Amino acid sequence: MTRAAGIDVGGTFTDLAAIDADGAVVARKVLSTPGDQSEGVASALDALGAPARTVARIAHGTTVVTNLLLERRGARVVLCATAGATDVLELRRQERASLYDLSAAHPAPLVVPTDVVGVRERLEPGEVRVELTDGEVARVVAEVVARAPAVVVVALLHAYANGAHERRLAQALRAALPLADVVCAHEVLPEIREYERTATAVAEGYARPAVATYLARLGRTVSERGHPAPSVMTSGGGMRTAAEAARAAASLALSGPAGGVVGAAAVLRVAGFDRALTIDIGGTSADAGLILDGEPLVESGGDVAGVPIALPRVLVDTVSAGGGSLGWIDDGGALRVGPRSAGAVPGPAAFGRGGTQPTVTDANLVLGRIVAHRMSGGVKLDVEASRRVVSALAAQLGADVTRTAQAMVNIADAEMARALRRVSVDRGVDPRSCVLMAFGGGGPLHACALADLIGATRVLVPPHAGVLSALGLAMAPERRESAVSVMRRTDALDGAHVRAVADALAGQVEGAVRAWTARTRYVGQGYELDIPCAPGDDGAAIAARFAGRHHARYGFVLDREVEVVAMRHTASSLAESVRFARHGTPTWTDAGLVDDGSPCDAIVAGEAVITLPDATLFVARGWTARALPVGGWLVERVP
Amino acid sequence: MSGFDPLAIRVFASSVAMIAEEMGAVLTRGSLSPNIRERRDASCALFDADGRMIAQAAHIPVHLGAMPEAVRAVRDRHPAAGDVWLLNDPYHGGSHLPDLTMVEAIADDGCIVGYAAVRAHHADVGGMSPGSMPFGATELVQEGLVLPPVRLVSGGVLDESLLGLVLANVRTPGERRGDLAAQQSACHAGAAGWRALRAREGVAHVEAGASALLDYAERRAVARLRELGDLDADAEDFLEGDGVTDALVPVRVHLRVRDGRLTLDFAGTSPRVRGNINCPVAVTRAAALFVLRSLLDDDVPTNDGIARAIEIITPDDCFIAAKWPSAVAAGNVESSQRITDLLFAALANAGVAAPAQGQGTMNNVTFGGAGWTFYETLGGGQGASERGPGPSAVHVGMSNTRNTPIESLEQAYPIRIDEYAIRRGSGGQGRAAGGDGVIRRYRVLERCTVTLLTERRTRAPRGSHGGGDGATGRNLRNGEPLPAKCRVELQPGDVLTIETPGGGAYGA
Repeated sequence: MTRAAGIDVGGTFTDLAAIDADGAVVARKVLSTPGDQSEGVASALDALGAPARTVARIAHGTTVVTNLLLERRGARVVLCATAGATDVLELRRQERASLYDLSAAHPAPLVVPTDVVGVRERLEPGEVRVELTDGEVARVVAEVVARAPAVVVVALLHAYANGAHERRLAQALRAALPLADVVCAHEVLPEIREYERTATAVAEGYARPAVATYLARLGRTVSERGHPAPSVMTSGGGMRTAAEAARAAASLALSGPAGGVVGAAAVLRVAGFDRALTIDIGGTSADAGLILDGEPLVESGGDVAGVPIALPRVLVDTVSAGGGSLGWIDDGGALRVGPRSAGAVPGPAAFGRGGTQPTVTDANLVLGRIVAHRMSGGVKLDVEASRRVVSALAAQLGADVTRTAQAMVNIADAEMARALRRVSVDRGVDPRSCVLMAFGGGGPLHACALADLIGATRVLVPPHAGVLSALGLAMAPERRESAVSVMRRTDALDGAHVRAVADALAGQVEGAVRAWTARTRYVGQGYELDIPCAPGDDGAAIAARFAGRHHARYGFVLDREVEVVAMRHTASSLAESVRFARHGTPTWTDAGLVDDGSPCDAIVAGEAVITLPDATLFVARGWTARALPVGGWLVERVP
Repeated sequence: MSGFDPLAIRVFASSVAMIAEEMGAVLTRGSLSPNIRERRDASCALFDADGRMIAQAAHIPVHLGAMPEAVRAVRDRHPAAGDVWLLNDPYHGGSHLPDLTMVEAIADDGCIVGYAAVRAHHADVGGMSPGSMPFGATELVQEGLVLPPVRLVSGGVLDESLLGLVLANVRTPGERRGDLAAQQSACHAGAAGWRALRAREGVAHVEAGASALLDYAERRAVARLRELGDLDADAEDFLEGDGVTDALVPVRVHLRVRDGRLTLDFAGTSPRVRGNINCPVAVTRAAALFVLRSLLDDDVPTNDGIARAIEIITPDDCFIAAKWPSAVAAGNVESSQRITDLLFAALANAGVAAPAQGQGTMNNVTFGGAGWTFYETLGGGQGASERGPGPSAVHVGMSNTRNTPIESLEQAYPIRIDEYAIRRGSGGQGRAAGGDGVIRRYRVLERCTVTLLTERRTRAPRGSHGGGDGATGRNLRNGEPLPAKCRVELQPGDVLTIETPGGGAYGA
């Protein structure tokens, strides 16, 4: 019996990690099916041996929403916005797309200007300045009906504080357009700032029909095999049932990358650490993340494919540096790497698929850091081809091939180290205090050099590094989030009020573990901090905790009133426990150690190469790698 | 090519850019005021021991390349290793008074091994009106507290009496103290990063790397200019009044490119004026650097090497190379925009496919009531280029600050926004249309004054290569036109409307 299976759909591979009743982990990797991701999910389940083995719970990480936003393939949305503020999506926040490229334009909004309908009504702080009349409702409904959209989004000014107008208009629209989906912005994101709230609600409406269709199809495919309906990971690292996820499409925009950091956090705790920087290096890009107190750092805001989505998200900083990044020489005579990538096709020269330009993978091959006869996906590597293309570049620079290859790796490392420092230093975290957790095909290859650049002295290469996102999905608890606008100063917030808000939020969902946070700031500030709170708290307690956090994060406190902008609630089930262990027997080859997960107490001093199931660990000079009993490796800087 | 390994240049570039970025992160994390924290009106830069700028993290183009002047001014005063200096004097390393610049002489083993500099626009530095961006000032001293380079920290000890003097002369001392502390932390972060890099990579490698990086940026700038060929062209433009009178103020340039070197001769430009649209030559240099920077690829590192490709010549008496005691507050925000327009026009006249003119103003709007002030700047139309239409409703040229959400503004101030919209059709018409400006309609609930520092209200942003001009901007009180620069009283219920200019079109 399989307790839980996590299935992560990536651009090339669909990964599955299953946790057995005894806690053991089984991994499968199949090719993704970009046309319909559910086919890849089905073949991953079939590869597990289903239906002979029943799976109690399936958790899914998907790129359906990300791809939809990137390719602009969502539904036609009509937006109803307060008259006088109907251009909110085009106005954005006024900053330009590029500081120096004057013709660079932001991606077009998801709603065309002619599909925005102005609504004559106006809420102002604490009052209704212009009532929404029956006549106006009828006029707006007629305008919307004439456009016959699949989705209508209602986003009115100050509705975070008073949703009455949005609800009334939505009700009338639902009655007139029974087949359309009607989304109220204050229900998607009950927070101040009209641009971010409106854009998030529009993204929700835009993605909803496609997400609903996909999840329904996936549910059928999975149930035909005798499995339960899958739950889906949100950008914030929570988990929703398929039915809930279909009505929270915008919260799935970063489902995939979130799974990686959630998986890393789960394995980190098993390995006995609680603070880490994560680096997931793939073919075209590298994702940096941060884990504090054993949990991925979750923040609100940011955008996906140029669409702002101000919902909670697991922090991931992506840079264009990966195994496929191309080396070249610019007009200033300097060697460069990326941002262009050879991708999967043609890929590095070593893949023999027509790649003629040197990539970081080619450089690593030239340096002997990838063992040529083993590579995932059955690709046979051609070291001579790598040497040829790197030599050609070296000749242009008048340098030798080894030095050129090392320089290419150094340049890619420098880019990735910047991302690692951004996610830590920007949040007041000293990177030297973190374990560097390296995964993805290229993570273990670059880990020692990256650790040196950021001053970290320990590198954790997790077990099951090749399917870490899928494992994170399998281990993640069910988690549901809800939120409500508060907009009240803490001195006007008594215990009874906090309890009423907290209970109302908690009443919406079930869960074994409950947590509340208050989005809190100094009056007049534009930034909030999420402060943990409980139903017994009053405003003064929240304000005191806020001051403590503010000091820790920013280094000062202010003699100024504090206000709570919104309150959030999460309800979680208990996490799956996993017993990591090594099985089988170890192998040494001429090319070094091959770690296939076998019991192993090896201690390997750098410089050395250890071949992992889906990656290669390069132990640099000055570093020592120790096989962990739970699988994976801890690599430490020799003092 | 210098002796430094060309294989290592980009690694070194990343290393020093990372230090400047981290200074920026420390600054924005620690600063109190929304103008630094949210609008990011601040810049951080790292210099070597010779005072050469090797990296800058700029959010605001108007600080581009203006920081070396600040470091030069401090070096002229012979700092000791570890000192932290403070300045804002436009005639000694500054730009305009609200920009307070801090410079740390980075100490390593008792020697100065480099400089870390942080410039931030403070919400108030005293003077005749809140916000220190006054209308009608004719002398620098009216605009706020003037700080020549002064030693704020010596031997690791902060000079509290000096800081007290500064804080006693501003309207919001608590916020200033916090922002200055954040600037100091950012300088320290830069110093620590620079020392760590020297320790990790070795002093010789880092010193050679600094020179090589400057040479590299210069080569890339020169390579781009060489592509343009030898150029000669003149251009002329005007500011719409100096803040005291409405008389047009001419700016003129002769642009020359020879073998990858750009010379800008501003002969014929107006002498210094009575009002406060004057600016120090550092601002003029920043505008020139911005224009050259926009011709380069985005990945060229920002350092002094780019500036080496530019020579600037100004007449002795010239309002964009102003001298004490001229007032300068509006020069930094509005004259810098006009110089940018002028240089793009000169490039176009020389046959370069330069973009058409953008809105050419920051549309500075300051409200002041009993116990409150509110300042914002408004985006408008960007000029179109051969690559496509100009974006709408964005800051152009030397600014890139964000807007204030309607809901946040209404929660905090007795102001209501009756309309915030794209000003449709205000962009110039042509093969590629200019970007549209915006309409912002404010209704005030209390008596207050409003100060406007705007431009392009009578002279439109011009199209390029036969493209149509953008629409001029308009300032209205209850439907009646107001001048481009003014201070007026508003009564409860009064409506102020700002319509910002559209960008010029490209091609007929």
